Amino acid sequence: MQTGILAGIKHGETVLETRGITKRFPGVLANDHIDFEMKAGEVHAILGENGAGKSTFMNILFGLLQPDEGEIYVAGKKVKFHSPLDAIELGIGMVHQHRKLVSAHTVLENIILGHPNAGRILNLKKTGEEIDALCQRYGFKIDLKAKVWQLSEGEKQVVEILKALYRGAKILILDEPTSALAPPEVDKLLASIEAMTGDELAMIPFITHKLPIVLSTSDRVTILRRGRVTARLETKNATERSLAKDMVGREVVFRLESVEVEKGPLVLEVENLSTRNDKGALALNGVSFSIREGEIFGIAGISGNGQQELAEVLAGLRKAEGGKVMLEGKDITHASSLERWQTGVGYIPAERVDVGSIGDFTLVENVAMNYYFDHEFSRYGVVDYKKMGALTEEIIEEFSVATPSADTVGKNLSGGNLQKLILGRVFSRRPRLLIANLPTQGLDVGAIEFVQNKLIEAKKERAAVLLISEDLDEVLSLSDWVAPIYEGEFMGVIPGKEAEKDSVGAMMAGSRLEEVVA
Amino acid sequence: MWEFLARSLEASTIFTVAALGELIGQRSGVLNVGIEGVMLFGATLGFIAAQTTGSYVIGFLVAIGIGAFLGLLHGFFSITLGGDQVVSGMGIWILGFGLTTYIGNPYTGPLGMERIPTIFGVSPFFYVAIILVAVTWFVLSKTSLGLRIRSVGENPAVAAVSGISVTKTRYLTVIVSGMLMGFAGAIYSLDYNPVWNYNFIMGWGFIALALVFFSMWNPWILLGGSLLFGSLWQLSLNPQLLLPGVFSRYIWRTVPFVITLGVLLMMSTKWFRTKWGAAKPAALGEPYSPE
Repeated sequence: MQTGILAGIKHGETVLETRGITKRFPGVLANDHIDFEMKAGEVHAILGENGAGKSTFMNILFGLLQPDEGEIYVAGKKVKFHSPLDAIELGIGMVHQHRKLVSAHTVLENIILGHPNAGRILNLKKTGEEIDALCQRYGFKIDLKAKVWQLSEGEKQVVEILKALYRGAKILILDEPTSALAPPEVDKLLASIEAMTGDELAMIPFITHKLPIVLSTSDRVTILRRGRVTARLETKNATERSLAKDMVGREVVFRLESVEVEKGPLVLEVENLSTRNDKGALALNGVSFSIREGEIFGIAGISGNGQQELAEVLAGLRKAEGGKVMLEGKDITHASSLERWQTGVGYIPAERVDVGSIGDFTLVENVAMNYYFDHEFSRYGVVDYKKMGALTEEIIEEFSVATPSADTVGKNLSGGNLQKLILGRVFSRRPRLLIANLPTQGLDVGAIEFVQNKLIEAKKERAAVLLISEDLDEVLSLSDWVAPIYEGEFMGVIPGKEAEKDSVGAMMAGSRLEEVVA
Repeated sequence: MWEFLARSLEASTIFTVAALGELIGQRSGVLNVGIEGVMLFGATLGFIAAQTTGSYVIGFLVAIGIGAFLGLLHGFFSITLGGDQVVSGMGIWILGFGLTTYIGNPYTGPLGMERIPTIFGVSPFFYVAIILVAVTWFVLSKTSLGLRIRSVGENPAVAAVSGISVTKTRYLTVIVSGMLMGFAGAIYSLDYNPVWNYNFIMGWGFIALALVFFSMWNPWILLGGSLLFGSLWQLSLNPQLLLPGVFSRYIWRTVPFVITLGVLLMMSTKWFRTKWGAAKPAALGEPYSPE
């Protein structure tokens, strides 16, 4: 292994320290004098909402950004990072949320890419053995010859961790480490974090909203809000509620009270629905379910298990391979998207920036995309922008979208505000069926609360809601029915009240209802 | 019959060398559609240099040199300036077509030098081409340099985070790529058919470009494809040799182009993309600009 200045570090010694880190971007003070300190063998979580300055701070620690003011000390020595390479050389590794891996290459090729031990002629045998030894030490299981695109999200994360460790990392920065993992994978990750910290590695997980993870793994927490450190505490003195308060700056409601709404007639009936993904493989394999008026039907699953395709088929964006879709007794299996919007389907796509809106369009134009076909808003193909503008103002008001004006372009809005606008656009059509695909993904705690409350409102207004989410807590707290999806099939459909986290988590990873119950 | 076979192998040689150059560039993510232009430059300047000095060696060196320069030029537009690779490549082709017609015009006619001796009845460059294929395959799949080149072509951002200079790697491949294309042009004008005429490469560069896609970016499949196209081309020159009386030679001459069109059509289908899509360098044609 390499002999960096962190090589001989002992448990409990300070490995990394920052003093007064400040970073300005045009119009924003992203980091405002951040002091931070961590010791070998500790897990030190950094918590904050989107826009709190976490990413900026992380990028400064990894050398991707240079601070305007402030100093970084590694093992007591003042250092300056010009690029990630400098950080890597000093023993700082990073596990990115958006995986930085070459998907067409093998695991081994990814790990040794750019590594000095790779040799002029690739020494696959020796490096493979060394990496196997690392795996054994920390309890990772991975096939080094597998191609990265074949791996699950959890396995890809393992590859990133191994890559950093093999590079000699002593401090690991983990960016939203649990966000894309299935519950069993999260457990595995936590176990390996424990094994690694026992070996004097220091970990810095950056986390947006999975507070239970912070509580169960970290030794200390530093909380950021609007670029400043608002709290620095020992985890054992914290509660979920206190962490959230320090993070958001006010009390946050955690458990949403599920409202009982009198069930009405069936709105959506889906029979044996199948479809293929972009690669031509069967993504959805004979799914059947129905949703009544005033019900939220929650689909819990790790991304890539067919839920995206299900949402697209129901929205008319993808062809059904087989099966039937009925909306209030009418067969809409082969209806176009436009016909569906007109008959009362509302769709909130998962990609709010790429699919949900057009960045260079104003908010009025973005709203018009869901209205241009209505007689009320367009005559002989000419859009009545005055009326459109008034409607947009109403949406901005009612959904508290923070924007300078209705004529601002979409890309200037934060993720949360954009989602509020999309929500308002869909809700204002009073849909009978609302398809919400990952409606809260990537939003901060405050915006999540807002969106979830709106979903409950839709239910009260007697819409049928299909909620697709990767956040198990969200599905469990909102849904009247919970259907864990795995490889294009429902592993069971459970009444929301009876659904338990452990069993649903196991079903998301491929266990059937019968196995879980037995 | 033997004559036909030998000439087929020699035609294949030119496809192989040129396409190999294109393949190396593409594996690092740089598409050069100007391959025809680089070949024209290499062929013309190599021809003039050889005829003026009376030395084949100087002819080939000049061709390789101008190829390297054009590769560098393409690199400057597409890597340093981050321009559109197709636009830059088309520019090189048009430049090559126009400028070589102008420069080469006074040299129209045969080279007038003693032919390069054959080895076992086939041009020595055929053996050189096979060695080049083997070396390219070895470097790309078995060495650290190859891994770096492939990573840059698949995901430059990942390569950069791993401490690899995307710019340097791409410049290296694009220059080597140009050298091979220029070399291929000179093999045509100094060995295969040593007579200068305007636009005498006749679209071979474009066929070589298609061959790279046909090969799934694998040098050995590329060699196979080149042999197929080389034979078809040779057959189109003398169809009566194998198939007397079937179609005129003008129809035969379109065959490689029709097949190229067919290959490109097939490759643009959904079926092909889903089945073989993984073979294509994911960052092909995309300029890399770090955030």
